[in-house]
Amino acid sequence: MTQGSRLYFAVTVLMCAFVSINGVGLNDLLERASQLSDKLHSLSTSLTNDLDSHFPPVGRVMMPRPSMCHTSSLQIPNDKDQALKIPEDELLSLARSLLLAWSDPLALLSSEASSLAHPERNTIDSKTKELQDNINSLGAGLEHVFQKMGSSSDNLSSLPFYTSSLGQDKTSRLVNFHFLLSCFRRDSHKIDSFLKVLRCRAAKKRPEMC
Amino acid sequence: MMLNSIMYSKWAQYMFIGVSAPGKPKLTSCRSPEKETFTCWWEPGEDGGLPTTYALYYHLENSETVYECPDYKTAGNNSCFFNKNDTSLWVNYNITVVATNALGKNISEPVEVDVAYIVQPNTPENVTAVVVDEDQGPFVRVSWEKPRTADTRSGWITLLYQLRVKQQKDKEWEEYNAGMQKYYNVFSLHPDTEFMVQVRCKPDHGFWSEWTQTTYIKMPDYIPRQRSLWIIITIFSVFIVLILTWTLNVKRNSVKLCLLPPVPGPKIKGFDKQLLKSGKTEEVFNSLVIQGFPPTIDYDDLLVEYLEVYDNEEQELVLDGKDLSEDCIKSKSPSDCDSGRGSCDSRTLLLEKCMVGRKGSGSDQHQYSQHGETSWASTESSECQGLEPGSPESSDGRVKTWPVVFSSPQPHHHYQAETVKPVYHSVPEILNHSSPHIMPTNYHHLHHQDIPQQEGRHGKPACRHSQSYNHFNLDGLNTPAPGVSPSRSLEYVEVQRVNPENMLLLRPLSDPNREPEGSDYAGEDYSKVKEVTSNNILLLRRDTSHHCVDDYSQASQCTTQQPPHPCKPVIYQSNSGMPQEGMRVMGNGYVDSTVLMPSY
Repeated sequence: MTQGSRLYFAVTVLMCAFVSINGVGLNDLLERASQLSDKLHSLSTSLTNDLDSHFPPVGRVMMPRPSMCHTSSLQIPNDKDQALKIPEDELLSLARSLLLAWSDPLALLSSEASSLAHPERNTIDSKTKELQDNINSLGAGLEHVFQKMGSSSDNLSSLPFYTSSLGQDKTSRLVNFHFLLSCFRRDSHKIDSFLKVLRCRAAKKRPEMC
Repeated sequence: MMLNSIMYSKWAQYMFIGVSAPGKPKLTSCRSPEKETFTCWWEPGEDGGLPTTYALYYHLENSETVYECPDYKTAGNNSCFFNKNDTSLWVNYNITVVATNALGKNISEPVEVDVAYIVQPNTPENVTAVVVDEDQGPFVRVSWEKPRTADTRSGWITLLYQLRVKQQKDKEWEEYNAGMQKYYNVFSLHPDTEFMVQVRCKPDHGFWSEWTQTTYIKMPDYIPRQRSLWIIITIFSVFIVLILTWTLNVKRNSVKLCLLPPVPGPKIKGFDKQLLKSGKTEEVFNSLVIQGFPPTIDYDDLLVEYLEVYDNEEQELVLDGKDLSEDCIKSKSPSDCDSGRGSCDSRTLLLEKCMVGRKGSGSDQHQYSQHGETSWASTESSECQGLEPGSPESSDGRVKTWPVVFSSPQPHHHYQAETVKPVYHSVPEILNHSSPHIMPTNYHHLHHQDIPQQEGRHGKPACRHSQSYNHFNLDGLNTPAPGVSPSRSLEYVEVQRVNPENMLLLRPLSDPNREPEGSDYAGEDYSKVKEVTSNNILLLRRDTSHHCVDDYSQASQCTTQQPPHPCKPVIYQSNSGMPQEGMRVMGNGYVDSTVLMPSY
């Protein structure tokens, strides 16, 4: 290789290394994460609407209480004052914990979606799959954010999900599906809110966005 | 019994009045403008005619504690306002409204509310629209502020804005999404019109706010730059130009023909333009050159060569073709004022054309030289007829003209089939026979048998010659052919002179009496060509002698000249289309030089 091409190659390698180490700025990472979480919540809302279109009234009676969600044990801020008091890394760990808690349940939902006793079954199935993909992407992104923020401890809460099946009969399956989805919808809203707070806190140089 | 009747009467009392327990109230909506507080509204049912009180009760999802609405006033009638302290996110509120009157109460259906999902912000504030003047033209910049209550700075709530514009008379609004920014530029508004602008906002997950109050903006009256019009015009004209260019290109040949008509080039047969372009001029001109032209005439030859005359009509008149041609060539110039000696040297044969023609072929083996002179043959028959007067047989026959020695190869119809074109003719020698009949001087009757009447007459050897041919009248020449027994002997003669009687005086070369007889013989035996007049008359000069040769062509248009004449007009005719023998006129008026010289 000639002198010039060698020099060019070295510069390229250095730049790649620098980028991989520093990567994208925190602002951009959080921005991207916020976008993903926004998409996540929108999907879940639309899924809920699809389910509600043909939901038997009896199901509403049978619906478990929302406090029965497996993530309800997680202590989260319930209003703005509380939320704004929480430091960023705690907010981030909350978001990550919630996200982590839903990877298994979503897998269950995804497997159950195709056999739902619902006329919108196909749409629900595809959206559930998309939901799964989004969650994985967001999880990876939040990992980057966590590393970027440089927190010392990884304060993740474990929120196990023990349910392995949605039920035996189609109605209970449908009801349980609906319940699980509603839990997820709320949690996705939490994640989205926390990340957007984090975004605005990091974007000091772009006040017009916040 | 008594108790029943008392109760019945009381009930009947109310029945008559028409009051009842309140109707069931209904919660219409709950909204949170900033995700920090929220308000619920209900609508009362039938009040039953009695004053009804409403109470809102709620409990959270994970507790059984029932709370009553803390604030019924702030939000107006039939509303309940939950302040910050009482608002919790991501918790379901189970809300019911109880309507109570004297006769009873009624409870509404419970409603589950999660504050996070009922966010509807207030309208944006301070909507302003200004006209900004730019180079491209004025536009409207609409700007606003976030609703006061929304805390977007901390990121707790994220708002998206939308604006809409229309003219007063329009039915439909034109909507624009502004995203999260708090201003928007509206372009392409009609000048000199008033526009209405409204703005609203929505949280990332929530309900749209109400539209703001209409803001009016008036566009100024400006002349649109019409940039797009100029662009269209330019493109159109470029398109037209392209089409024209393409059309011209397609028709470039005819255009070139129209603008630059072609210059006629030289049309010389045998002239190769390509050779000329290649620059090899030598090769170009070589093709034009005819070998042997101009003939290099050995001047001495002119004097030396003699005419061989045969007495016998059957005998051929042998001529030295080569020399003849040379002579012909030499004497071609009409203005050639040489002695003309060579030309008068009778290489040519004096031929009795018509006589020969009438006599038929006579068994002559005449070889006719092949020349490219196809032009000669045409009028010979007419000339033959014209020659009628002098029948050589009469021996007073007028002289025939000097026919063309070298005849064309064309067959001539009035001749016998077996007649072959004579290559050259030998003048029949009449020497031996001439004495008794002939004048003291030797007249030689030259007759040519079967020589087709040529179109061009050559005098002298210049048969081929374009210009001159002499018609020599031989008067009173005895045709030796009919009457004289031809002898086979060959003797060369030379033309001594032409006497006034239009007789060609020949004398043999071996004749000891070579000196001219007669006083009127000048030393000049040759005639110089003085000039050629305009009407194709070759004027020969004869300095001292008064003898002039009058030539008359056997064609119609020639005239005879009376002697004496200083000049001997040599009249050569140019028959129709045949200006000069030896030169064939091409159809287009150009001269074909290839046939100028004979090819042997």
